[in-house]
Amino acid sequence: MLSESARMSSAAEARFRIDAPNSKPRAVKVIALDHASERVVKDLAERSWNNATFFTASAFGQAPRQGESFAGWLSDLAGRTKNLIEEVNSADLVVMVAQAGESAQAASIIGEACSVKRVMTTALVLGGAKISDDALSKTLSQLRPWALMLVIANADEYIADMLTALRA
Amino acid sequence: MLRKEQNDLLTQTGPGTPMGRMFRLNWIPALLAEELPENECPPVRVKLLSERLLAWRDTQGRYALTDEFCAHRGISLWFGRNEENGLRCPYHGWKYDHTGQCIDVPSEPAESGFCSKIKLKSYPLIERGGVLWTYMGPPELQPPAPEWEFATVPAKHSIITKRLQECNWLQALEGGIDSSHVSFLHRGDLNTDPMFKGAKGNQYNLNDARPFFEVVESPGGLYIGARRNAENGNYYWRITQWVMPTFTMIPPRGDHCVHGHFWIPIDDENCWTWSYDYHPIRPLKESEVAAVRAGKGIHVQYIPGTYRPTANKDNDYLMDRAAQKRGETYSGVGGFAMQDAAVQESMGPVVDRAKENLVSTDNGIIMMRHRLLRAIKGMEKGEQPPGIDLAHQRVRSAAVVLPPDQPFKDAAREALIAKPGVAPASV
Repeated sequence: MLSESARMSSAAEARFRIDAPNSKPRAVKVIALDHASERVVKDLAERSWNNATFFTASAFGQAPRQGESFAGWLSDLAGRTKNLIEEVNSADLVVMVAQAGESAQAASIIGEACSVKRVMTTALVLGGAKISDDALSKTLSQLRPWALMLVIANADEYIADMLTALRA
Repeated sequence: MLRKEQNDLLTQTGPGTPMGRMFRLNWIPALLAEELPENECPPVRVKLLSERLLAWRDTQGRYALTDEFCAHRGISLWFGRNEENGLRCPYHGWKYDHTGQCIDVPSEPAESGFCSKIKLKSYPLIERGGVLWTYMGPPELQPPAPEWEFATVPAKHSIITKRLQECNWLQALEGGIDSSHVSFLHRGDLNTDPMFKGAKGNQYNLNDARPFFEVVESPGGLYIGARRNAENGNYYWRITQWVMPTFTMIPPRGDHCVHGHFWIPIDDENCWTWSYDYHPIRPLKESEVAAVRAGKGIHVQYIPGTYRPTANKDNDYLMDRAAQKRGETYSGVGGFAMQDAAVQESMGPVVDRAKENLVSTDNGIIMMRHRLLRAIKGMEKGEQPPGIDLAHQRVRSAAVVLPPDQPFKDAAREALIAKPGVAPASV
């Protein structure tokens, strides 16, 4: 007689798996950290997503000074100012997108907000294969303290695959 | 999550499938050399990539991997007589040489030349590192023999085993590159298994159950770095290698062996898990060989006469709820290898990835799938997939402590390349 494990791991039994949704859409906020990645994020935003929204922090080269408000530090892709804290508050995951070799300084502010609110962060570095190790290191050093998961991808389309995989 | 058509694309490896084509462009492990121990030994049935084959060794010691079935009436040549440089079908006496060429049809006059018109499909079979490797792709694209370091070090430095895994190859591979499960599924074994215990790195693992991850594309596949806190603000990095389509190397611990796997499809619902342990600069100790034979580390014990693990789905993997309750094992299943196999097989023969909910720490898996799909697209344009180039095979995993500002792929660059006579980077 088959053991329960043998019977239950068969293809025949797989047909009886409950066919009902087992999750709700997660709110994923995708933020471009520089002008080059903003172009990639704009292309992404034109696709259909469950609950992903897209922003840019590329206009802000400098982090706010001590005591300065986070408000108005972020904008959507139409250029409307957004409140970083409000966006992080309603996020399940924040994805920061940076072009290798570009400044990713904004990551520290976004990362700090996510840290305070206990929101998971992922950083994606695009174009890592095309630039020098030193330039890549500079971008990484700005991202690493704030990204629980950091991905260096050679192909821009990875970000779409990642968001799809995460049901964003 | 993957759409059904993407899941089918990655999990199906039979003849004519894109993923099958990728496997067929590589030398893959077919069987252990010990399975064909001498000339004219009994043939061995081998199913690979959904093709039924027969491995055998002729009178001169030439290895053969041919269609399992006689071209005459389709009986299995496993019943054949291995004699005088050929395998003779016991039904009507048709005989084949090691290339599958029919060399005798007793019922036909030799002068008729009939047998020259009969040839079984066959694939090259070569020995390297205790493994018999085959290449099942187009002859004109056959690459040089494989150069994975475990297969090129002196024989006493390396040991390799295989075990039957009763699920699709991809869900087994995904377990192999999923670093974050170690702190849970294998928690009970890190400090007790003889192939792992005693390494300083184990304490970094156990003290920090929430590592940071970095996934970086490598020439042949991926580096998957798991970063934990070490002393003085430094980071302890464990860097796993994945080389396309199916090779992984797990970071070493202390002076223990380096180890890893191949997952080779038998068909779409079963695969061989190949598990190697080697040390680049020293022979394996007797105690290490004994531990492997006892099913420790990433190896298993077998049902005698088979490569099926003693603990398997037919006996509920010898589940021990009391050991689970006592904390000796986290899952109740004993041993690293069967802990992995049990959870992976429980998903079913081919898991439906449309139902899964991946999270950010699964980016290694997501990137692996992305690279396979990208390589399939590249193959359609005539590009060679990564992993075939010998330089992609000369790799090592590494465990290193680095200052916080150094990218692991640069700081550990030298450690990630196999260099004969050089010790592995390990903590």
